[in-house]
Amino acid sequence: MLFRFSPDSLRILAAYAAAVALFVIGAFVHPGFASFPSVTAILLVASFVGLVAAGQCFVILIGGIDLSVPWVLNAAAILLATSSLGQNSRALYAIALTLGMGALVGLANGIVIVWFAVPAVVMTLAMNGIVEGLALGLSGGMTCSACASYAPPVVAAAVHGVFLGVPAALWLWLVVIVVVSFVLSFTRFGRATYAIGNNPRAAFLAGVNVNLTTIFLYALSGLFSALAGILLVGFGGQASLGMGDPYLFQSIAAVVIGGVSILGGRGNYLGAAAGAVSLTALVSVLLALNMPEYGRSIIYGVVILALLLLYGREQRE
Amino acid sequence: MPAEMSGRAEVRASVAARRPRAAHIIGQNIGLVLAAAILLLSIIVFVAMFLIQQHRLPGNFEITSTVDNTMPLALAAIGQTIVVLTRGIDLSVGGVVDLTNALAAIYLAGSFTHMIVVAILVILVGAAAGLVNGLLVGLGRLQPIVVTLATLSIFQGLAIRVLPQPGGTVPDGVTAFLVNTNGPYALLFLALAALGWMALRRSRIGVAIFAVGNDEQAAIAHGVNAVRTKVIAYTIGGAMYALAGLFLAANATSGDATSGNVFTLTSIVATVLGGVSLFGGRGSALGSICGAFITTMIVNILFYAHINPLYQSFYEGLFLIIAVVLGAAIGGLVRRGRA
Repeated sequence: MLFRFSPDSLRILAAYAAAVALFVIGAFVHPGFASFPSVTAILLVASFVGLVAAGQCFVILIGGIDLSVPWVLNAAAILLATSSLGQNSRALYAIALTLGMGALVGLANGIVIVWFAVPAVVMTLAMNGIVEGLALGLSGGMTCSACASYAPPVVAAAVHGVFLGVPAALWLWLVVIVVVSFVLSFTRFGRATYAIGNNPRAAFLAGVNVNLTTIFLYALSGLFSALAGILLVGFGGQASLGMGDPYLFQSIAAVVIGGVSILGGRGNYLGAAAGAVSLTALVSVLLALNMPEYGRSIIYGVVILALLLLYGREQRE
Repeated sequence: MPAEMSGRAEVRASVAARRPRAAHIIGQNIGLVLAAAILLLSIIVFVAMFLIQQHRLPGNFEITSTVDNTMPLALAAIGQTIVVLTRGIDLSVGGVVDLTNALAAIYLAGSFTHMIVVAILVILVGAAAGLVNGLLVGLGRLQPIVVTLATLSIFQGLAIRVLPQPGGTVPDGVTAFLVNTNGPYALLFLALAALGWMALRRSRIGVAIFAVGNDEQAAIAHGVNAVRTKVIAYTIGGAMYALAGLFLAANATSGDATSGNVFTLTSIVATVLGGVSLFGGRGSALGSICGAFITTMIVNILFYAHINPLYQSFYEGLFLIIAVVLGAAIGGLVRRGRA
């Protein structure tokens, strides 16, 4: 053997193999599925899941979870549309405001989780409700006059615009993949993240500022949800209610399929990105097969379970 | 060894002498006591608001509709509690309620015996769904949160397959039996469920559930079959969600394959408000029943406070955080007082 793979890198390889296998299956059932335009279109949809999964990956790596994804994403989309009013001149201000909102919500999650010892599941679940109530209430249930605004052309261009033959949003995702993987693998902050995920007490004794790191990671998760919300408005043109709902399930599934342990401390964003691609490719294959909604839902669950049984099992004690 | 034993017995005796029995019981069940206190407080606030605005006390109609609206959540929360006590979590609640609700709306019809058989079959479907979760978590050694996330998708798909569009009808007789609108008779079923819980709590399997939730390795070392315990816990949970689905269908007098989705999150909220620890091994289904009623009372209070319904989830979320933070603080104080 030329290479020896650790179990963790095997999981990441498995996630990539699943993605490639799905494209091959897709090409068989639907000619043209694996053509370049089709693949980039699928990857573009996967990039939204992938960006949310970046934040989710951060908090899952420390054994937490972020259930506030759906409405942070949705509120970000509404905020971008209403604050930019579709004008390029206001785009920069709107993007800064929206990203700031996402980071602030994540910060609040982190602070309560750390300082009030509220379980992450409870805090982020409650935060999802809080953001939902504020987004619905302040926008009057999306009836406000600014709510119908379109995305500023620059934001739309940042998603659809083609650069070197590939949609701009994919380049953005690629940058995020490289940066996040680098940060997790080669920086002090990344080491601290894994240390907390493996054993918070040991990490604390080793000099890691556990509280600050945890708060920062939740803030990052909020930031990435908001970023995905901005890009989704650019992708679809307008904000709508409920647009964030699919992303909770998909972000967690992508992270877990990508070989990240839900208990924390193990895995990498490279795997989660592959998980996002696999999930989106799976849905695309099923759509190409004209599978009705219920069938997609069932097969989706079965495939996730199969992948988990294949390599997501805990060691026998 | 005997010296140590007698020493410990002495300590225990002196502790018992120092603290009256009532204080001991409150200290042991602080989560349940807090849940009951919050429920009482929310009822008082609600009654006060009602009295001010309607110039009368809430009558039979208000009480009955509150009870009937809470029944599905209370039943689902009992199931969630049993799973959470094993240090698990069940996100597939919504899918199981969807599926059983759809089945009930389509097949509950015909003669009395036919309906009884259908109802039992629906409950068995729920139990089977729970069994699948339990086997995957127990034998498959997979994390509960991801297993039930995946099975949620599967059960939701099956529910839509059974009932593609909202519809079906539930016979009036079933509605009258389960959610009698003339009075809060559904409380009888809840009392039965509570009795069932108390029996389970004291049974061999109940003790095993708490043991596994507290410390799985220690439980195994003491001869508890952890895998079997988890499988049974998830199966009971599934059966409870099916009961919730039946009540939901009876309440709405028709079926909807998506109306159960909310129960995944609300059952967790009710469980947390009920003082059940998400880290397993601590809590009571009675607390979760209180938690279910608290969530309904909050909605009632917001209604009479003339809060814009669009802001409803904002206040619910805020309330959940405050309740959990305060509950932990008071629980901590009580425990420190005991130490």
